[in-house]
Amino acid sequence: MLRSVLLLFSLLLALPILADAPKDYPFLPFDEAMSQAQAEGKPVFVYFGRYGCGYCELTNKEAFSQPEVRERYTQHYVLAYVDAESGKRLRLPSGERITERELGTRYNAFATPVFSYLDSNGTARHRLIGAQTKEALLEADEVARAKLAGGE
Amino acid sequence: MRGLFLLASALLLSTAVVAEWEFTAPVTISEQGSERFFHHLESSGRRNIAVSGDTVAVAWEDDRDDTPRIYLARKGMADTDFSPAMRVSGDGEAFEPTLVALTGERFALAWEEDAQVKMRIVSAHGMGPLIAVAEGESRQPSLHYGDGELRLVLAEQEGRLSRIYYHRFEVVGESGLKRSQRCAVDAVPPEDQQFYPTLARQQGLTVVAWEDRRPGHTVIMGAESVPGQACGFREPVRVSLPPEGAEAAAYGSGHGVARVALSSYGREGVYAAWADKRDYREGYSIFGAPWRVKQGFAANEVVQDAFGGVAKQWHATLAGDGHGRLVAAWSDERDGDSDVLLSWYRDGQWSDDLALPGGSGPGVQQHPSITLDSAGRLHVAWVERDEIGGPTRLRYTVSRWRSSN
Repeated sequence: MLRSVLLLFSLLLALPILADAPKDYPFLPFDEAMSQAQAEGKPVFVYFGRYGCGYCELTNKEAFSQPEVRERYTQHYVLAYVDAESGKRLRLPSGERITERELGTRYNAFATPVFSYLDSNGTARHRLIGAQTKEALLEADEVARAKLAGGE
Repeated sequence: MRGLFLLASALLLSTAVVAEWEFTAPVTISEQGSERFFHHLESSGRRNIAVSGDTVAVAWEDDRDDTPRIYLARKGMADTDFSPAMRVSGDGEAFEPTLVALTGERFALAWEEDAQVKMRIVSAHGMGPLIAVAEGESRQPSLHYGDGELRLVLAEQEGRLSRIYYHRFEVVGESGLKRSQRCAVDAVPPEDQQFYPTLARQQGLTVVAWEDRRPGHTVIMGAESVPGQACGFREPVRVSLPPEGAEAAAYGSGHGVARVALSSYGREGVYAAWADKRDYREGYSIFGAPWRVKQGFAANEVVQDAFGGVAKQWHATLAGDGHGRLVAAWSDERDGDSDVLLSWYRDGQWSDDLALPGGSGPGVQQHPSITLDSAGRLHVAWVERDEIGGPTRLRYTVSRWRSSN
């Protein structure tokens, strides 16, 4: 009986009910990610989510949990997570201090999740809106990298 | 030809008459500075403009000396220009100033500075002492002045959670502040984060609204004070409701809302407005709920008109008065780049939306803050920039409400 209760409790703890950034990914605050991207000459993948976001939770469970997605995205991008309703402050490359919520308005994160692929200057080259599958994320990685390489 | 066009535009803008409103030509409160100089007109409840007697004042944050600080500018009603910006905050990084009018051309300001809410009174003769409102970390203050008393709500950090507190202050002399009461708005310790509170007063009751994450997503909660108690509130109620017919989602906890504004109006009403993403395909819209004495908050309603349904709205602000006037303003992207739009409440219905003359059109106009003065004039301040992310200016206009109400 005690074993069943403990098992249920551990399962409940494992559920990503808050729809934060997916587990086991090195997501950074946006400004730290931009600094790192500029230092490393890498593009930035920005995940605009929000607390309790259903499609974020679905995408975390169905797509970001896949090892192939984790491998590609951690290898190709510096990763940033932004809570599009948060008052947490960050500094933009321009020097402006704004909240994560205001960053969402700048990058047109009108829905969640929105996934933006930025060059190291912060210009969006590609984006996806709404829940995504593993296949969609893998395809978007190729499209985004082609656009980033071509300077589109 | 270009000169003729500019002259015609200037004539049209010098006094723009639109329906019930007659707006003056906008003036600049604070000019555009360097490429790295940004104004922010933000506060919990979006109270950044106030009128005391014959003086209108605007409070904002900018980083003109590379550090975000709080500034105030004032203007007499008959004056053309605002005074030069006066720095109000101390030496730390300061954000999100809230402003309220006292009597006698005085204003109280509160803001966040180095993760603590600070507060002071500014009069025509100078600034009063700077005080820290709470001992620990605190953020997102919102002020109200009435019945000879200054009231403030803010988010105080308690361990890992942020909780809404209510403070009362006596104004002593011209610019002194004496603390009198402090209590949590929700007597039950929070289950999750509480953020961005604001307050209004009606018939001796204090109504507080804030963002609350207790159901696993952000909702707007509200509470009203208990009559006869100096510092006590009834059990909070949920103000932003699930959409009608909504079923439990397989994933997530519910739709998003953000940044509630409150204003009293008439003899019995308070109104709450916020950004609401229940129609997730089109971004946030402005929703609201009226509150009445002895009835509490009513059902949610859409503030913007039907033309706004396919566009994004942000930054809701409200202004009301004792004559029953109630106006909402927000940033709106229905015509491309952001414009400031207005709507006004009459007989329980929001009007068609009006693009603010001088605060709409080419460029980016957003982050409005509004107030109604005792003569029924609507004062509007907003942030203007030529392009998203570019350097900013602060702008102002005022309008007479032409219709009787």
